[in-house]
Amino acid sequence: MSAVEFSINTLKIFLLWFSIVNVVPVMLWVERRAAGLIQDRPGPNRVGPFGLFQAIADVIKFFWKMDPVPKHVNRFLFLIAPILSLIPASLTLAALPFADKMVIWGREYQLQVSDLHVGILYMLAIGSLGAYGILFGGWASNNKYSLLGALRASAQMISYEIPLGLAACGAVLFFGTFSLRGMVFMQDGTLFGGLLPKWGIFFQPLGFLIFFITSLAETNRVPFDLPETEGELVAGFHTEYGSMKFAMFMMAEYMNLATMSGLMTAMYFGGWHIPYVSDATLLSWLGGSVNLLAIVQLGVFFFKLYTFLLIYVWIRWTLPRFRFDQLMRVAWKNLIPLSMINLIVTAILLYFWEMR
Amino acid sequence: MISYEASWLSWTHYTAIALFGIGLVGFLLRRNAIVVLMCVELMLNAVNLIFLEVAVRTQTHDGILFIIFVVTVAAAEAAIGLAILLNLYRKQGSLELNLFRMLQG
Amino acid sequence: MSKEWLICGAGIMTLASALMVVLSSNAIYSAIGLLISLFGLSALYLLWGSAFLSVIQVLIYAGAIVVLFVFVVMLLDMSRVVQTGKGPGWFTTLLVTGTGWIFSLFLLRALNRGNFAGAIEHKALGSISVLSKILFREYLWPFEVLSVFLLAVVISAYCLARPESLDNSGSDGVSIKGPKGGRS
Repeated sequence: MSAVEFSINTLKIFLLWFSIVNVVPVMLWVERRAAGLIQDRPGPNRVGPFGLFQAIADVIKFFWKMDPVPKHVNRFLFLIAPILSLIPASLTLAALPFADKMVIWGREYQLQVSDLHVGILYMLAIGSLGAYGILFGGWASNNKYSLLGALRASAQMISYEIPLGLAACGAVLFFGTFSLRGMVFMQDGTLFGGLLPKWGIFFQPLGFLIFFITSLAETNRVPFDLPETEGELVAGFHTEYGSMKFAMFMMAEYMNLATMSGLMTAMYFGGWHIPYVSDATLLSWLGGSVNLLAIVQLGVFFFKLYTFLLIYVWIRWTLPRFRFDQLMRVAWKNLIPLSMINLIVTAILLYFWEMR
Repeated sequence: MISYEASWLSWTHYTAIALFGIGLVGFLLRRNAIVVLMCVELMLNAVNLIFLEVAVRTQTHDGILFIIFVVTVAAAEAAIGLAILLNLYRKQGSLELNLFRMLQG
Repeated sequence: MSKEWLICGAGIMTLASALMVVLSSNAIYSAIGLLISLFGLSALYLLWGSAFLSVIQVLIYAGAIVVLFVFVVMLLDMSRVVQTGKGPGWFTTLLVTGTGWIFSLFLLRALNRGNFAGAIEHKALGSISVLSKILFREYLWPFEVLSVFLLAVVISAYCLARPESLDNSGSDGVSIKGPKGGRS
């Protein structure tokens, strides 16, 4: 690998990471404005037009705040816990396929950090490590509310990983590959003579539903935000955290949200494909320029990703919270059997389809 | 194709042996039941490493399948072991293995 | 060349953190040691060409088993665990460590036979399609036995988690008082 290639690859990785990190300030604004819209109040509207600079003000506030470490905490674990939750959130991006490829000075560069042949498994594995940040943060705070939040979080994340994995297994079985890039390539084109785009959701509707519900639980969003219920546990596992350390927990949460949205986009909603327009047609419209195509694909991918994020926000301000026993019952008695049925039915149908 | 000097495979082998030794010593010396369970996990992992070495050396996939089986059994073992420990803690209020003398009469 | 030093580094990381499991007095640091050790092993699997195993290692061990350990350690409040004050004596420590060491040497002798000179050229093992073909053809019977085993584990875990519903035969978890008015 030459120096030029190395620097372009490094720049690519940084830009892709940066585009997901930027979800955080955008979502800070979107979430509060949407809350205002839904609850019939203005929301933040003072800083800049439509309160758009509120996110920047928030970030500056986080940086300039005092950063206290309480006396009664386990200092080492207290300090590494936010880092432990931010690192997995960043690492999961490595397998997301943002767009096809760019050609710079005669060399091809995939717009994806790495096309792993175990892509989905990698994302599930690294995503499951996010539990440690929450667990250690809650335990090290030496506060009963924090500890309760952490215990709830770990029980919830372990339970919901099972239906998440099983739902993803259905998609893997259907596409016949673990590579997210391969999955996106298979969703190019239309079904039934141009009636529907050939997206995963039309083959795996139940799988998508389970995946979506579980992704809410895995990222600790309403209606599954039991680890941080403000009515019962003050603020859950991050009660004792302030300033940048709290901001790191929040960044990790929003990045996980973005990653889950990207995963659903790639697995069930055709990734970078525009419905009814195949890649080849789009390429001919753009005059055969691969780089332009990649930029359009990036736009489409991020459009779909932000649509999912908006749905998350919508759900957050619409649905009430589950009780903990209800949460566990939903996971073990409803979602796991449903995802198993989904897997078995997919397998049987695929078997007869292959026989044909 | 991946190519390494064979000495590095031996190094992996020594790692596995040493890991098993550390796990065994911890299993025999520690009195905290949870740490004892962790040492069992260490020993299982050492065996997994040996299976990997076998798979690489013989160029077959059987070793890797054995690792998958062992990981499954290890997960089950951890779940059951921890459930038993929780029950013991509920009965005795402790996890010191010295204190569990209920069968001694 | 650099990859081979990575093998060395991953091995050292595994062993050092395994020592941390055994030596640290706080169970939570033992759990952290176990976690790092498992990551070292995962790196070793990756370096020997089996990406699938390395991901499985992280997914199952680091993502589920060690979380369970940490969960139990946090649930039980280790500071309240009664200390007996009787640690193992020097003689026991030496004896056990020596036995472990000699046992390891025997293992080394037993397993390290044959000539390993020269470079090893090998395919990347653990391609998922090949693995699954072997798993569902040659190893189908062990696989099915394993599924029955897992079913037994699920049932026994359920029974262990709810001991009071087994002690008395009352339905719906309603506790039935014994003849002396108390439950055992």
